[in-house]
Amino acid sequence: MSCTLGEVKNRADLIIYWGGNPAECHPRHFTKYTIMQKGKYVPNGRKGRTMVLVDIRETPSAKAADLFLQVRPAKDFETLTILRALIKGRRVDAAAVAETGLTLEQLEDLAHRMKTCRFGVLFFGMGLSMTRGKHMNSAAALTLAAELNAFTKFVTMPMRGHGNVTGADVVMRYTTAYPFGVSLSRGYPRFNPGEFSTIDLLVRGDVDATLVLGADPGATMPQPAIDHLARTPTIVLDPKVTHSSRLARVHITTAATGITAPGTVYRMDEVPLPLRPPLSGPYPSDEDVLKRIVAAVKRKPAWEPAGV
Amino acid sequence: MLRITGGKVYDPANNINGEVRDVCISGGRVVAAVEDARTIDATGMVVFPGGVDVHTHVAGAALNFARGLIPEQHRQAAPIIHSRLRRAGLGGSTPTTFATGYLYAGMGWTTVNEAAVPILSAKHTHEELHDTPIVDKTCCVLMANNEILLDLMEAGEWERARHVMAWQVWAAKAYGVKAVNPGGVAAWKWGKDAKQLSDPIAGYSNITPGQIVAGLARLVDELKLPHPLHLHCNNLGAPGNVTTTLETMKTLEGNRAHLAHLQYHAYGGDDWSNISSASTTLADAFNACPNLTTDAGAVLFGNTVTVTADGPWQHLLYQLTGKKWANLDVENETGCGVVPYAYKPGSPANAVQWAVGLELLLLITDPWRVFLTTDHPNGAAFWRYPEVIRLLMDLDFRREQLKAIPDKVLKRIILPELTRQYTLSEIAVITSAGPARALGLSHKGHLGVGADADVAVYNESADVAHMFSYPRYVIKGGEVVIEEGELRNVVEGRGFVVKPAYDETVEGYLRPLFQQHYTMSFDNYPVAPERVHGLQVVEPAP
Amino acid sequence: MLTLTLKESPHVPLEAEVISPDVVANLTPGEVRALPVLLGKRRCRLDDWFDVDGDAGDEIEVRGDASKVKWIGRGMTRGRVTVVGNAGTHLGAYMTGGSVEVTGSAGDWVGGEMGGGTIRVRGDAGGQLGAAYRGSPSGMSGGTILVGGSAGIELGMRMKRGLIAVGGKVRDFAGLQMKGGTIVLTGGAEIRTGAWMARGTIVSLVPLRLLPTFAAAGPYHPTFLRLYARHLRPLGFALPCEPHEGAYRRYTGDAAVPGKGEVLVWQPA
Repeated sequence: MSCTLGEVKNRADLIIYWGGNPAECHPRHFTKYTIMQKGKYVPNGRKGRTMVLVDIRETPSAKAADLFLQVRPAKDFETLTILRALIKGRRVDAAAVAETGLTLEQLEDLAHRMKTCRFGVLFFGMGLSMTRGKHMNSAAALTLAAELNAFTKFVTMPMRGHGNVTGADVVMRYTTAYPFGVSLSRGYPRFNPGEFSTIDLLVRGDVDATLVLGADPGATMPQPAIDHLARTPTIVLDPKVTHSSRLARVHITTAATGITAPGTVYRMDEVPLPLRPPLSGPYPSDEDVLKRIVAAVKRKPAWEPAGV
Repeated sequence: MLRITGGKVYDPANNINGEVRDVCISGGRVVAAVEDARTIDATGMVVFPGGVDVHTHVAGAALNFARGLIPEQHRQAAPIIHSRLRRAGLGGSTPTTFATGYLYAGMGWTTVNEAAVPILSAKHTHEELHDTPIVDKTCCVLMANNEILLDLMEAGEWERARHVMAWQVWAAKAYGVKAVNPGGVAAWKWGKDAKQLSDPIAGYSNITPGQIVAGLARLVDELKLPHPLHLHCNNLGAPGNVTTTLETMKTLEGNRAHLAHLQYHAYGGDDWSNISSASTTLADAFNACPNLTTDAGAVLFGNTVTVTADGPWQHLLYQLTGKKWANLDVENETGCGVVPYAYKPGSPANAVQWAVGLELLLLITDPWRVFLTTDHPNGAAFWRYPEVIRLLMDLDFRREQLKAIPDKVLKRIILPELTRQYTLSEIAVITSAGPARALGLSHKGHLGVGADADVAVYNESADVAHMFSYPRYVIKGGEVVIEEGELRNVVEGRGFVVKPAYDETVEGYLRPLFQQHYTMSFDNYPVAPERVHGLQVVEPAP
Repeated sequence: MLTLTLKESPHVPLEAEVISPDVVANLTPGEVRALPVLLGKRRCRLDDWFDVDGDAGDEIEVRGDASKVKWIGRGMTRGRVTVVGNAGTHLGAYMTGGSVEVTGSAGDWVGGEMGGGTIRVRGDAGGQLGAAYRGSPSGMSGGTILVGGSAGIELGMRMKRGLIAVGGKVRDFAGLQMKGGTIVLTGGAEIRTGAWMARGTIVSLVPLRLLPTFAAAGPYHPTFLRLYARHLRPLGFALPCEPHEGAYRRYTGDAAVPGKGEVLVWQPA
């Protein structure tokens, strides 16, 4: 249940941020897409919208919110699951709700707002998708939003991290049918997050070489994954020196996409934006380097995939 | 240079019906004669112009959204194993881009029309089409819920609407104009729908779906676009919806239109318990409207995924099936819904759908106006077309298949009474010559001198499903891509784009509106021409 | 019996779905040794990695630390596979009959989408035991999985029928979106047990912290548990069910779905 950001700007009268701090992490979100904008069907802008923030601590984003709900750490899944029951008119025991840090009254109020708004949106951040429960927390947000469409118009969208994460996801889907966690070792795509996702492969030591593109796992991944990168041949393509490039065997300096190289970046709502470089530079683009690597690999003796 | 010799040639556009004659190819085109050419001996084979798919969903944000939703179907899909020639991929209900090119060509189809492109994500659609090899491509841009256009219609500003439409076709690098559930998707932005042509549209006070349909068809004709308005009618999939379809045909007032996937718009009955076929009524009315073409949107039993810009229908389907559902609304332009679906012969509604698709193909008398599609992936995946061909050509097989249909459904369909069997020449019309003509691609769909050298050569066989699944040779743009049933050469396809004439000052009108309602800079909105690979620009006479 | 002794542990995963009675039963020793296995993307012969002894038949014994060997017993319909040591990911996935026994531990997806047969892991098992693969509507649809030690997350996810019993503690989301069948937890569970379950039964001998969307429905003496108790006792799982020993407290949920699943938590007298 998603939409492009213009739908939010033009229509949303209930905007919920869950486990994210847009005031600091996505500073243009409020002004460009959500609460501060006057929309086609929200002519009064901020006055025509209600913003709810759900988070484990009172971040600077709370100041912008009409309603701040402080949920206990690692209770997001429980809270979303209670909301799923409440919107269907199911009774939930008030004493049992207490573990979430919120009262039944607060959650009933939120469920009521969700069901009675004209157009609701739930943006969820890494405070939801990267904490205990991970993909099931995201699934809870997606399911709740889908079910709300029995009552009103409701959409949801993840607030993704830095870089062109969405673009990678999109391209993987049309070339392999799967968004991430794909193995091509048998000559065709197979999908199993947890088995083929990068962190898991590195932590278990299931790969014997790594190519890093548009990411800095040396800064973001758990220590066992970083140790494996250092232990095995790692190649990094990056315009600058990074944690990963320092531990890599090979670092190829490439042009910065959007600054000295053209390209396409996908917004969190999967809308592609062309990047036009204002400057020129001496370094080749990621694409040039990869094409040369592919051409060089093709000159090596054929590797025949083993098939199904 | 090539000479295909000894085969029975089916080239209905040039009135050639199974005559044994040579087809000569040079410079990517069909020519009168060649010397010192490589010769393909097609003795015992039939020679067809390459297939043309008038309505399919093979690329774009909506289809790619669907791909992400069905890993369980991908695990069952045919793997496309990486080789020196081929990129890895998967077949199945939503094949990956490279696989799409291999699978279409592998069946003898050489041109496809991607039927639903939002302008906002058209850059993405063209990226996917670029990675779809071998076949030539056209696409249709979604307009019947475009709010800039709807606002102009609401205000009665038709002249400006025409310039905006022309600007938008070129901005999207599209070939034609698509209308999906006119007004209904705009209403869906508020969780509502507009099922009947006179229904009010949430957010608007003057216009109705009927006016949008008539208005868009007129504008497309005024702009002299090679392909008429490509119309997905209101009230798709609903029991009793034939009345809406008949009314839509009247509303068009003689303007040209292509009615997409007619099967989904041809039902009688009042609810799911008594849904029935209304194909006789619809085919009779259609036969009397020479301004219209259509495609079948045939259904085959099995697992697939439904993908359409018709958001409200998809939400209903989700509530009916209780399975997965994804929805993706595109600001100011359109929506899209995705629901995985299994068509089962034991389900009365599905059995009616299966019958109706075939009935329409058999009851519409002029094969030049009804084309073979499954509304891929909605009714079935495109690589199952040979199964539909067999059902059309082989009455005994059709009767055999009818045995799986529940008795109570047999009374609600007319397929058991139909004895027509398609000839090879008629198959060549509904798979190639007809759709090429409807698309206005004068160099496609035939084998006359000057035509694009897109040719499919099949073994002549009583087992037509096998025959059309495994062509012996496929030639695309003069290059042999399939030989002895195997992929031998992967060529790039071209992109056909229409540039209708418009008043350049329309940008001055659009820019401020755009800045107000969209979230992207106006200069980033149009697709740059260099993003369409193999760009072929068609400029209609003003 | 065919004995496969791992020569050395592979440094990247080895995919070896050929280690199944259905594949080897009618092959000559030469054919067995030549069976294909995949080391990463490279195709090898079975005897590149295993010493192959004995005659092929319905029984296979794998020896060594096979924790990087994936897909042992995939889709098997009959016979017996014994792993003396550890087994890797997808052990017995999609199997419909026969039995698999592991003396050590096993990786993730043990018995993924299995339809029948028995898998017994003496040590610990990983996540997604008996679960649905990503996107599939249902997980295991029959058969039995027994784990002596602990198990990971999402145990029995979307399972439809069959029995899973675990002696040690299991991690989060046991019985996630369960549709039927029975899960017996004698060593307790971490959090979110039975989340979003529609039907089916989870029995725990240790108190559980359930989601707020489960409702307590009072003490209960289910007679069907006696059958399970009798079946599980010889396999090392003691399931109390005599009224004088105590009672089960019954919880129903998950109200979010809304579901009719039940969670039975043992309360000693």
